[in-house]
Amino acid sequence: MRKQNLTRTAAIAILMLSSAALFGQTATGVINGTLINKNGITLVFDSDAAGVALGNSGTSAASVNFGNISAFGALSAGVTRPSVTAANFTVQTIFDVNVTQGGLASASYTLTANLAAPAPTGFTYKVDAVTLTTVAQTIQANGAYGTDVAHNLGLVVLTAAPGAGGPAVGSPITATINFTATAN
Amino acid sequence: MKAKFICGRARLLAALCVLAGACALPARAQTSAGQLTVTLNVQSSISLIFQTNPASPAAGFCALTNSGTNNVGLDLGSAAFPGSSYVGCGSYSHIGSATYQVTSAFDVVVSKANTSSPNYRLAAQISTPPPANVTWLVNNIVLTNTGFTNLDAADNYGTPVTKTLQVQVKNNVPAQLLSETITFLASAN
Repeated sequence: MRKQNLTRTAAIAILMLSSAALFGQTATGVINGTLINKNGITLVFDSDAAGVALGNSGTSAASVNFGNISAFGALSAGVTRPSVTAANFTVQTIFDVNVTQGGLASASYTLTANLAAPAPTGFTYKVDAVTLTTVAQTIQANGAYGTDVAHNLGLVVLTAAPGAGGPAVGSPITATINFTATAN
Repeated sequence: MKAKFICGRARLLAALCVLAGACALPARAQTSAGQLTVTLNVQSSISLIFQTNPASPAAGFCALTNSGTNNVGLDLGSAAFPGSSYVGCGSYSHIGSATYQVTSAFDVVVSKANTSSPNYRLAAQISTPPPANVTWLVNNIVLTNTGFTNLDAADNYGTPVTKTLQVQVKNNVPAQLLSETITFLASAN
């Protein structure tokens, strides 16, 4: 009888030890996360409330349609005609440039612009006071990041008749202006 | 020993290259580009404005209000058949025994742009029928309110063309304000 009790006690002790060993099973793992934070800068065109509504406003590939322009006739909404002389007239509109940056210590940017191709006959393209050519020229040397900066887009059109130095009449004329923002 | 020295120099060069590269990266200007496509359509156009004649101020050459625009005023003053009572900048005269006339000259300038038109036609009309025995004329051509009356067939662009507005009033016309809006129409030839 006593032997039986000893055997039972021993069996219980073994079971308890084995159960304790089971509860002690654990596993661990780690994730080694990495991220390369690069610096960057981006430029988009926004419509200005005082100007022509841009096509694809808010992107870096926008369009502006002056519609029908003339020295003396009606103009589209957002287009103004600040000057008319015997030799030429100017029409202009306002658009916004918004440049944002990240990861840079730059406090401002330099904006340059150039025509993608020589101006059509009878036309001169201007951004603010700068007459555009196919060579990039500085429009603004200290543009502020993260805000719409208004610029005037002007077209100086000769009043001469077509074939006499003036522009083609009655057919759409398109030009592309390249803008570049460079962090200062 | 020599081999060790060469190896050490190579390591130094490599280290310098890495350093130079690290320095050059932040110095490289960050840029972003955008394209704006501009579209337009040029139309031919002409404009007409009125100008005070350079002879003003002188009798028969009244100064226009808003001269230099296409909407001007021309006040001929006040007149009565007895010519001695005329007060104004115009020129007063009698036509026949029972009619007086007040006239004033002014200039019309028509400009063109982006057109090969060599010249233009000029016409005019009054806005309302005048009272009986009152006649409005330009350069002796009677104006009506029923349609434009041709004044010139081929005027030159960009050159002031002097026109004379005339009001002829018979002596039986009651006292009243005589007023007309005279519309001039220039048409490219």
